[in-house]
Amino acid sequence: MASEIEKGTKYIPEMAQTEIDDLNKSIKTASLKVIEDNIERMKKAWKNRPQAMEYFDEISNLFGKRQEEIKQQKTAGKKVVGYSCIFAPIEMILAADAIPVRVGSGWYDTAKLGDRIMPVEICPVIRSTVGAKMVSLSPFLELSDAIVMPLTCDGRTKLSEILADYKPIWHMNPPRVKDDPHTLGMWKQEIMVIKEKIEKLTGNKITRKNLKEAIEKMQQATKAFRRLQDLRKGNPVINGRDAMLVNQTSLWDDVERWTQKVNELCDELEKRVEQKEHSTYPDTPRVMLTGTPMIWPDSWKVPNLIEESNPQGLVVVDEQCSGDRILYDPVGVDEWTMSDMLDAISERYLMACTCPCFTSEHGNEDRINWIIDRIKEYKVDGVIYYVVRGCILYAMEYQRIKRVLDKMNIPVYYLDTEYTREDVGQMKTRVEAFLEMLEARMDI
Amino acid sequence: MLEIIAETLRATIAVALILAGSLAILIWVRNNTRKLSALRLFIQIAAVAVIFLGLIIGPFGLERWSYLGTAPKDITIGKEILGRPYPDGLTVPTFSCYYASGRTATCVIWQLQSYLFPNYGTSSIYLTTGLERLAIAVGLLVVISVIFGRFLCGWICPFGLYMDLLTRLRKALKIRHWTLSDRVNEGLRQARYLIIAAFLILSFLLGMRAIAGVELISESELGRYLEIPFCQICPAKPLFVLVEGALGFMDVDYMLSQTIGDFALTGWYLTSINIVILGVVTVGSFMIRRLWCRICPLGGLIALFSRFGPFKKISLIKLTKVEEKCTKCGICKRVCPPQVTEVYEDKGGDVTVSSCILCFRCVEMCPYEGCLNVEFAGKPIYKSKNWLNEEE
Repeated sequence: MASEIEKGTKYIPEMAQTEIDDLNKSIKTASLKVIEDNIERMKKAWKNRPQAMEYFDEISNLFGKRQEEIKQQKTAGKKVVGYSCIFAPIEMILAADAIPVRVGSGWYDTAKLGDRIMPVEICPVIRSTVGAKMVSLSPFLELSDAIVMPLTCDGRTKLSEILADYKPIWHMNPPRVKDDPHTLGMWKQEIMVIKEKIEKLTGNKITRKNLKEAIEKMQQATKAFRRLQDLRKGNPVINGRDAMLVNQTSLWDDVERWTQKVNELCDELEKRVEQKEHSTYPDTPRVMLTGTPMIWPDSWKVPNLIEESNPQGLVVVDEQCSGDRILYDPVGVDEWTMSDMLDAISERYLMACTCPCFTSEHGNEDRINWIIDRIKEYKVDGVIYYVVRGCILYAMEYQRIKRVLDKMNIPVYYLDTEYTREDVGQMKTRVEAFLEMLEARMDI
Repeated sequence: MLEIIAETLRATIAVALILAGSLAILIWVRNNTRKLSALRLFIQIAAVAVIFLGLIIGPFGLERWSYLGTAPKDITIGKEILGRPYPDGLTVPTFSCYYASGRTATCVIWQLQSYLFPNYGTSSIYLTTGLERLAIAVGLLVVISVIFGRFLCGWICPFGLYMDLLTRLRKALKIRHWTLSDRVNEGLRQARYLIIAAFLILSFLLGMRAIAGVELISESELGRYLEIPFCQICPAKPLFVLVEGALGFMDVDYMLSQTIGDFALTGWYLTSINIVILGVVTVGSFMIRRLWCRICPLGGLIALFSRFGPFKKISLIKLTKVEEKCTKCGICKRVCPPQVTEVYEDKGGDVTVSSCILCFRCVEMCPYEGCLNVEFAGKPIYKSKNWLNEEE
């Protein structure tokens, strides 16, 4: 029996190479256009965009400079470790001198391809990743030597099986309850397993010294990230989309270079704060995004809509694992011993995370607290709760969060959508109505 | 002539210490980021210097290793404030050990035990009555506890400094600390009150010498020694005595001559139980951070007068937490020297608990701005902040 399974077919049906090439080419061309278009729109909306943003425009091209760089480093002997979700311990990958890249997929066109083998009820992030694999589109997925797959939701669980036909997949089991001391113990074990696997793949031992270096590198990145976030708290000196792009490029860029470039950007923005050079009118309604991850480039349709609608909105902060949650939490090490560093890493990736896959006897209160705090800190006028169809964990948590926000007298709007460009027109009407309401409230 | 040079030298040292201290505080205030541990170490060292100031500023014409209770500051403070000698020094709830010379203040535990029995201190140097002294000791204990709480444990206590130095040594050797399970920790926490009750009852009973005509202990040297039961098991006593002996501040021969005949190895200054306990605590607190603080009856006494009942409301120093800013990342729990879990578990508001030594390591390490706050009399004096700018 076992042999039958081994010989058995893969999840993804065999496709003719010509078909794969054709699809790859056409989707890639379309995607490059979307990237270009997004950047064009961002430039248009922000007349005096800082010089430092050019770097992020360049690195945002998924098929461009960074892909070539990783290819070169790979031929030089470096390993690439992909990860599907921010539960993966980046510090460990860096410590073993491998390149961490996130392999989520934001292509709308590949989601349709994914429909061929995935049920439509499944979240399009998963379907799109499957579709991207079918036509070998995603450069980072193709370049990965192994993929860390934290099984946070049902979609990712099965996605790991599909990808396992092509790459070594390293599963991680995040516990669904994080308050319990014994679940932290379980998670530490998962981290230790991943550590061994990374060491085996790269052939480099993760030592006290290189792990410390990696942690400090990431702490510097967090520091730069928080510097940028702090600039978004006051009058607008950076548009939401641009800040989101900066944050998201950290998922595939070289950490040190990214940190340096963000600091350059912050230097420029800090001057603008002094000169009161705003990116939009200071009284623009301030919007917070929360919900499903918004993945570059196609999912930019929502922030594009918000910041280009009439009246205009400004995304000041988000609560998404594709955005402000990536780098917000640092690894806090008490004593620089190996075991304390490992403890610190496991705690940072489990306990500080506010993913809706968690629960506790008080519900997922950490996420709610996160949202409440952000609303106060960033003086948010309204929340847009973005959910793609099939992202049930986020969808189910909406009711509770709405109730909390109602009590705070903060309007929240449930924006459900799909990986499709067809609903842009009607979404525009909905978003505009919401923003108009926010503006009216501000006048009172 | 020599006298003048010596006095000038002492004055210079004192001025230099003050200047260095103010400078350190100034530097810290300017880049007030992650240096709290360094500031704490400095204050701890300064506090030890102040507590044993008698050794530094000289004995004012008294012999260097003169007998207990004649530490110079004791007399001057007593004269200045009370108008008559108060030879045991003012009460401070830290381990400023009575048995070491040169101290300017005295551990409250020794005072409580001594003043509890009626016969003590009838000699001519005591111009205060036992009851008066007891009132002063308890009064000072309550007042200091309400104002500072266990801040004294974290920042002033010389024995705490000793344990922190052991921790620093362990860190330098890159050895990971051990942790006690929450149950053991809770057990130690409760044991403090048992120890307090035990030593107070014992010293009261033994101090009475006889109950209904039955003699409990004799009027001998050994009797005097047993009247102060806790000090004979306290790990701090041999530490200070040995350190002072090693530094030449106390005459070792004199120290050893003060043994009590019946117990060859026990004495006024050092008992064998003392030394064994000091050894255990030393090894233990090398591996486990602030081990003694978890069972320390002195800390328990301070906690009694700062964290319970009406004292909780009026105690000035507080650690507060803003629930919304907390992501429960668990750093506060991991970095806490006495392994307090309440700061992590409690929802928000006042999170100060009786086992917290207020060292503020959690506030220092909390990466969320304004999540953990130190309040003094309702005013925030230190907040958690983005500490990424600094590293150890």
